[in-house]
Amino acid sequence: MSVVLAATVGALFTVGTFLLLRRDLMRVVFGVAAVSQATFVYLIAMGGVDEGTHDLVPVLAGHGSDVPTVADPVVQALVLTAIVISFGTTALALVLSYRAYEENESMDVTEWVR
Amino acid sequence: MSGLVIAPLLVVLVTAVLALALGRRPRVQRAASVAGVAAYAAVVSAVVWAVVLGPDAPGAAAYQLGGWPAPFGITLVLDGLSAFMLTITAVVGLASMLFSVRYVSAENQRVYYHPLFHLLTVGVTGAFLTGDLFNLFVWFEVMLIVSYVFVAFYGTDYATAASFRYLVLNVFGSALMLVAIGGLYATTGTLNMADMARRLAEPAAYGVDPAPAVGLAALLLAVFALKAGLVPFQFWVPAAYTAAPPPVTAMFAGVTKKVGMYAIVRLYFTVFAGAPVGIDVPGVPGGSPLAFLAPVLAAMGVASILVGGFGAVGQDRLERVFAYSSVGQVGFIAVAVAVAAAATGPLRGVAIAAALVFALHHSLAKGLLFLGAAAVKDATGTDSLPDLGGVAGRSPVLSSAVFVGLLSLVGLPPLTGFFGKLLTFDAAARGLATDARALSALALAALLLGAVLTILYTTRVWARGFWGLETPAVEVATVDTGQVAVVAALAVMVVLVGVGFDPVYRFAETAASAAVDSEAYVDVVGLDGGGSA
Repeated sequence: MSVVLAATVGALFTVGTFLLLRRDLMRVVFGVAAVSQATFVYLIAMGGVDEGTHDLVPVLAGHGSDVPTVADPVVQALVLTAIVISFGTTALALVLSYRAYEENESMDVTEWVR
Repeated sequence: MSGLVIAPLLVVLVTAVLALALGRRPRVQRAASVAGVAAYAAVVSAVVWAVVLGPDAPGAAAYQLGGWPAPFGITLVLDGLSAFMLTITAVVGLASMLFSVRYVSAENQRVYYHPLFHLLTVGVTGAFLTGDLFNLFVWFEVMLIVSYVFVAFYGTDYATAASFRYLVLNVFGSALMLVAIGGLYATTGTLNMADMARRLAEPAAYGVDPAPAVGLAALLLAVFALKAGLVPFQFWVPAAYTAAPPPVTAMFAGVTKKVGMYAIVRLYFTVFAGAPVGIDVPGVPGGSPLAFLAPVLAAMGVASILVGGFGAVGQDRLERVFAYSSVGQVGFIAVAVAVAAAATGPLRGVAIAAALVFALHHSLAKGLLFLGAAAVKDATGTDSLPDLGGVAGRSPVLSSAVFVGLLSLVGLPPLTGFFGKLLTFDAAARGLATDARALSALALAALLLGAVLTILYTTRVWARGFWGLETPAVEVATVDTGQVAVVAALAVMVVLVGVGFDPVYRFAETAASAAVDSEAYVDVVGLDGGGSA
């Protein structure tokens, strides 16, 4: 499980960093979103993902014989908060990039005024 | 007593909502907004008096949100350090709100200016008060989202570009902060700053391995240095500061920048200082994450002083001179904090007090200068030095006020800046006399060079912008008396704080001792489920 999580975090950070360094505005915004996603997966991994027991998840375990794996509820709350913030920031970034496109008439960051 | 801690936050939140609700009635909104800032200042002074400064004040108080006991719920803590920063916020906030009402055009004030202004204060206040690491992130975001909007406020090509760059940079910074917070949670098993301090101080008792905390703390240092605009993270500062409305720039330079420095001091000195991790750094004694902080922060501070100083000398617009100057001035604060980190014993408190006094000086003087530059720009239509000249003859009051601000930056007694510089030099010199020699010598040399650069660019601003013959732009200028009154009031404040410096210094000392006393911090948060006084 941790290998999968680590690989996911690594891949997301790679993609995010790559996109952040593009000249095209939309890619930068997608890069911002990808980097944020990477930190969310990382946060979940930091809380630990364990085999669930009947004590740990009584409701989920009551439906069917399988007990699912569970993540630390504290980091789930943190990630939830961070997702909301990231959602707002990404929306603002999209609005700003549209506005910047209107003002500068280009999606290419290098053609902007200094 | 503990209920008081949340009062400043509630006041400013209510004001923000009220300003939003009154959006259709501009006059009422403006009145409510000014009243709200005044109420904030009043509440902050009352709370600070009751909790920290008053005759039988407890020195610190904690408020458990929702009644959830400390390590599990979110705690708000008001101690000397937070109180000092809140006081700065209240003063700068009041001045820049009064100035905005006269400066920002009526149409622009209707475009969410007032609610945003208060939400900026909400973010800052929350960041100063919170005792929870993740909550610190949340308050940072509140503050940052508002500042993105403010940087883009005028909607010009320059402003949107500046705002977009600022946003991307800070989102990446926030991602790094989350990584650090997640790591610290995995390392220590807690997010409460007091609990974290306790666990890191006695790792064996709690089964914690403190070693990863050093690297994660370094990550946090990068994030906070980005917020504070320290070199090498300073490149967003000039663009963002010139794009935002000038009264808000006064808030940026005076208050939000200090949030980064506050977070460095709070986390390193209160939370991480006790962690027994041996790191050998040449020239620096001590064996905690602080030993790592000292040389890094000193290097950043020295670089900031140089980049800010040389950058300011070369600029032709008032706002840009002051924007670069504020990079340099934050460097002075960072150097003082670095001296504190390298020091052991009482020097540590002295150096933090020096950093705090310098922060106070910078907030007042730079707020005054940004507002003064805005008043000049409003009257003449330009703030570029070649087009200015003779403002001193046109408006003596405004010019004398700006002159006081410039002198305070230079550090002439008895202005606030004199004490800021004196204490910083004193701390560095004392560091030279005891241990940490190489570091202190470097810091002292940079401080001297920085002081010389400050004299250079302030002289240039004064000689080219305010003295000399009146240029065409200045000849027809009429300054707004309301704006001048605010700037002059700040100038009087700079003089008064300098003249009556003793109580201010005692406040800074209280704040510094609160910053280094993590046991008291742990006590007041009351981790054993008991709550606090």
